[in-house]
Amino acid sequence: MFLSDIHEQVRETARQFADEVIRPVAVELDEQERFPAEIYKEMGALGLFGIGVPEEMGGPGLDTLAYSVVMEELSRGYASVADQCGLVELITTLLVRHGTQEQRTRFLSTIMTAETRVAYCLTEPEAGSDLSGLRTFAERNGTGWKLNGGKIWIHNAPVADVGFVLARTDKNAGHRGMSIFIVDLNQKGVERGPKEHKMGQRASQVGALTFTDVVLPADALLGEEGRGFHMMMSVLDKGRVGIASLAVGIGQAGLEAALDYAQQRRQFGNAIVEFQGVQWLLAEMARDVEAARLLVRSAAMKIDRGDEATKACSMAKWFASDMAVARTADAVQVFGGSGYIRGFEVERLYRDAKITQIYEGTNQIQRMIVARQLIKQGARG
Amino acid sequence: MKVLVPVKRVVDHNVKIRVKSDGSGVDVANVKMSMNPFDEISVEEALRLKEAGVASEVIVVSIGPAKVEDVLRTALAMGADRAILVETEDKTEPLAVAKILKGVAEAERPGLIIAGKQAIDDDSNQTGQMLSALLGWPQATFASKLEIAEGAAIVTREVDGGLQVIGVTLPAVVTTDLRLNSPRYASLPNIMKAKKKPLERKTPADFGVDTTPRLKVLKTEEPEVRKAGIKVKSVAELVEKLKTHAGLI
Ligand SMILES: Cc1cc2nc3c(=O)[nH]c(=O)nc-3n(C[C@H](O)[C@H](O)[C@H](O)COP(=O)(O)OP(=O)(O)OC[C@H]3O[C@@H](n4cnc5c(N)ncnc54)[C@H](O)[C@@H]3O)c2cc1C
Repeated sequence: MFLSDIHEQVRETARQFADEVIRPVAVELDEQERFPAEIYKEMGALGLFGIGVPEEMGGPGLDTLAYSVVMEELSRGYASVADQCGLVELITTLLVRHGTQEQRTRFLSTIMTAETRVAYCLTEPEAGSDLSGLRTFAERNGTGWKLNGGKIWIHNAPVADVGFVLARTDKNAGHRGMSIFIVDLNQKGVERGPKEHKMGQRASQVGALTFTDVVLPADALLGEEGRGFHMMMSVLDKGRVGIASLAVGIGQAGLEAALDYAQQRRQFGNAIVEFQGVQWLLAEMARDVEAARLLVRSAAMKIDRGDEATKACSMAKWFASDMAVARTADAVQVFGGSGYIRGFEVERLYRDAKITQIYEGTNQIQRMIVARQLIKQGARG
Repeated sequence: MKVLVPVKRVVDHNVKIRVKSDGSGVDVANVKMSMNPFDEISVEEALRLKEAGVASEVIVVSIGPAKVEDVLRTALAMGADRAILVETEDKTEPLAVAKILKGVAEAERPGLIIAGKQAIDDDSNQTGQMLSALLGWPQATFASKLEIAEGAAIVTREVDGGLQVIGVTLPAVVTTDLRLNSPRYASLPNIMKAKKKPLERKTPADFGVDTTPRLKVLKTEEPEVRKAGIKVKSVAELVEKLKTHAGLI
């Protein structure tokens, strides 16, 4: 649906890669909570990191719709791998939009090949949904800066080389007093917390970072001082399309697994797919996966056309993530007891789905955004 | 040296094919199509020759309806340099395809033609051999290894009962087997670059070839459905069943 030949080809690459390289190791990655560096290296070579980076900056220069298609297909293979792609897309989008020529040359190419591992660092103990609680502070230090504070639940924190860190630079200026710093995470004063053990997406390495008198040069500042919050937020529309696509991929994987199993499993002398009760579960799954996909692609196309897309992106993220949780629960139901047993794909899908309702803005926050946009733009906006 | 690679658009190898209810053929409506897997291997081999500095240009050609442009674009996205589409609505048969390829080869003068050993739709396994005969070039079929050395190709062939190594002088026709290589994925940057690569359109008439089918399909039917097996409780019972039931030992 809506896909040009180019998008179809991009999808084919992502789909084949997911089927042949990612999906076969998903069980193992989940069980061992392992960072699949070898897969990321291959993805880098295929141009799956930094999909939107323009051709003149060495990227494929593809649009948000292509990014969405890739995220869905990768996630069908394994959501953690897709989430790495999403994380890199956020960071490279920030760099492309706000980086200086020098910052781009320094970071873009090695981020795209997965040699440089990145982290997107917003959340703090007192600043989750509400970033006005941000405490991490960067004070002037000669021509540069000195960073103090800490972040939690940062994807890639245990393995990352470079963090894109939101910090206060003016304690009295609220959202206008925050800036983004590009921080070398292997330098003095940076400490990494232990890797968290999570319910799902367990191959994603998530943990805390603390900064104690971390010395930053002047060119660590990304974009304008005081615009950090707005810059971080400006890439979130695209980020939400990414997470929504990831949720669609999980839903699609659940649907495929459930349909397959229902045709094989026999009870009462029939394949269980013959029972209307099971058919209705499958039909609902298919309907909701498709509905979510359409919302996601419509949001992606709004971004690509330069239309106001915030509401569409929030609706897509909210709907698709709720869909993924509800419909993977149904997929477990179709599998019966097997669906509750480790090693069956749907058991993992159900666990992997839950976080999509939480990160990239919880679904309560998405409701707030949708309502705010409604009130601002009117019902037809 | 130019390398010419013919590619065919076929029903994707993952699709469970269905025979049309009137028995006239396989139902291809709304079915996913993709490049014949053996042709992907041929494209890959040609690209490796180019990367090794042996080939100077990789040209892909496909014969069929306008839609075959898909597989040409895929080959370009894998890294081929340019494409030729010979458009016909007729059902393509090996002899007509071989004649057209002969015409293309005479125009392009490649040093090597690498073709799949067969297409997974009709499994004819004829085109490469016919083409070699029509051109009067040597052939090396079912290649599982290919090396180019001083005007010749050293080809390891998969034959019944083992491997055979032969040398053929160039220009030659080589057909590829499954174990030759594993084809690359089209990278996103290459997909974008492929948009700008040249694709030339031709017709069979340009090569003086009549593609009217010579073969008549009498009937197409599903293979017999495999009967359900039986479960045995012990080795003794298994041996007994093999003797009495299956008559295998
Ligand atoms: C696996 C994982 C990976 C993550 N990766 C990153 C990362 O890479 N970088 C990063 O910066 N962060 C990351 N996070 C953090 C994530 O973005 C936050 O957890 C999320 O934004 C929610 O913040 P919180 O956990 O503090 O919840 P809280 O904000 O404390 O929310 C708790 C509950 O209250 C609700 N709530 C809060 N405010 C309101 C309101 N006004 N109205 C109604 N309900 C409300 C929320 O919806 C939620 O249900 C990650 C988290 C996890 C678990």
